[in-house]
Amino acid sequence: MSTPIRNTAAMTATTTSPAPTRRRSKKPIGGWRWAGRGILAFLLLFTALPMVWMVITSLKTQLAALQYPPQWWPNEVTFENYVQLLSPNNAVGHEFLQYFWNSFYVSILSTILGVVIAVPAAYAFSRFRFPGRQALFFSVLLRNMFPAVVFLMPLFLMMKWLGLVNTHGSLILTYLTFGLPLSIWLLKGFYDNIPIQLEQAARIDGATRFQAFFHIVMPLSSPGIIATAIYAFIMAWNEYVYALTFLNSKDKLTLPVGLQRFFSEYATNWPGLMAASFIMSVPVVVLFLVLQKYFVRALTEGAVKS
Amino acid sequence: MTIDVAHQGGAVPAPSLRRRPNLLRRIVRHWNDYAYIAPAIVVMLLVIGYPIYYTVELSFFKTPPNLAMSQKVFVGFDNYRAILTSQSFRDVTYNTLIWTVVSTFFAYVLGLGAALALNREFLGRGVLRAVLLVPYVISAVAASYVWKWLYHSDFGVIGALSVQFGFTDEPINFLDNIYTALPSLIVVNIWKEFSFAMIMLLAGLQTVPDQLLRAAQVDGANTWQRFWHVTMPHLKGVSMVTILLLVVTNLNSFIIPWIMTGGGPAGATDIWITQIYQMAFGRIRFGMASAYSVILFIVMMALGYFYVKALTRGDEAKSE
Repeated sequence: MSTPIRNTAAMTATTTSPAPTRRRSKKPIGGWRWAGRGILAFLLLFTALPMVWMVITSLKTQLAALQYPPQWWPNEVTFENYVQLLSPNNAVGHEFLQYFWNSFYVSILSTILGVVIAVPAAYAFSRFRFPGRQALFFSVLLRNMFPAVVFLMPLFLMMKWLGLVNTHGSLILTYLTFGLPLSIWLLKGFYDNIPIQLEQAARIDGATRFQAFFHIVMPLSSPGIIATAIYAFIMAWNEYVYALTFLNSKDKLTLPVGLQRFFSEYATNWPGLMAASFIMSVPVVVLFLVLQKYFVRALTEGAVKS
Repeated sequence: MTIDVAHQGGAVPAPSLRRRPNLLRRIVRHWNDYAYIAPAIVVMLLVIGYPIYYTVELSFFKTPPNLAMSQKVFVGFDNYRAILTSQSFRDVTYNTLIWTVVSTFFAYVLGLGAALALNREFLGRGVLRAVLLVPYVISAVAASYVWKWLYHSDFGVIGALSVQFGFTDEPINFLDNIYTALPSLIVVNIWKEFSFAMIMLLAGLQTVPDQLLRAAQVDGANTWQRFWHVTMPHLKGVSMVTILLLVVTNLNSFIIPWIMTGGGPAGATDIWITQIYQMAFGRIRFGMASAYSVILFIVMMALGYFYVKALTRGDEAKSE
């Protein structure tokens, strides 16, 4: 990549020896840095306050939530909303846990299948030069561009025809393709960076192409596989439109649709809804926090080239 | 490239030796390679290729409300004509444009500000970055309900706060007012996606060479000049991709308007996607909705062209 910087600047860069002084001591803390802090403080409040209010509300009783002016901190903190959602014995909890399990099951299966399909495809895109490769690759990328709704009607009719409406199979098949373009793109980036000589060495030692791929390339690309898997899981966990359209019986619903149902059934129970939103967010937020660097990589890979 | 162990030919590309043998021969020679992508291709064709074809086909038909597609009636371009000449199309397009442009602009600007501010070592930087990313990770449905509660006309905390600080005399009914509904939703959208721009640009900032910044400083450039003449040119590529992805995401957004207002009040928050969904699954007019989708589709294709171009600069040069 050519640098759009003027030559003079580059020349100076090479002639000046790296200054021993640290960057920060040069000037007093300027207005710009305060502006930066201001922006961060503002964004932190903007980001966190709604979530804080969600948690505070979830700790209130229904009566306490419906007060004006609001109780900034609940007069009496109650965990009743959480207990109700998580105990399988009462009706609400039974329903909620069913949604939770459905979401988990659909997300995990579509993630695993997605990785299994994406790995060989990405490897092929990275290593082989076969006719139509470029065109196929673009068609893979283009999937990112199309709105879910465009696919909704034909897929709905197709699922109806296949007898998959109101099954989790329809969702798994659909979510699979969500992840695929990005997974392939991301993994291809990883494979591009693995030197081909490694495989060649293995081939000299008598490994077949598949063995070389399985024993040499696969382990080296595991960060990429983790990154794509997290991304696919989070996407599937949060997906709403297809689940809304494909599923109709109560025991099949996934969490996002279940949440909506919960809202329409117990319309005024805001604390309960906030507690449900909180529980629903926990798995993805934990997953994201633990594997943050992979997730960030999944997002930025491909767009940023040095 | 003297050691050519990969005698099957795939591993080391040698296109210069023989210029384009005929297509069939090349396909046969590479049949092995296709095995690797076959599963992906099959799934893609089934779930992507076929639906695109079918949407285009349906857009020329009037479909019966019972969805028995054998009874559909060919109507030519009538669906398109009906949509493009309707008043509601103009209103919805206007909303869509406002929604997309304003959301993208603020998400990008806030993301850029955050990225620049986070691009130096300080205590708690990692934690801060993680917290800012949480809205992007959580479910849009959950986020919509949380914000719906914040905006609640009687017990919403935003209304209560604005009364507390004396901005208004009584809580504003944010989501039921045709003037405040769309801006309120845009705020939620920005809340949800600005950190995506942040993380992309933060990665982009890693590619700005430190020496250049220092050299510019030595040459007497002030902070703004360094940002504008050194940092920004390096962020051009990432910015292109980020903005395009934001535009596409915003044109495709459905959940926030659907959950929070359902397109109301009086269509004030109706955008293309909610309109299409309503048409297809509310009024069961698949033909009409398909034509609407195709129109959206064409807009997307134009954007997609730029997207692929922005994404693959450099890659092209590398592979050929």
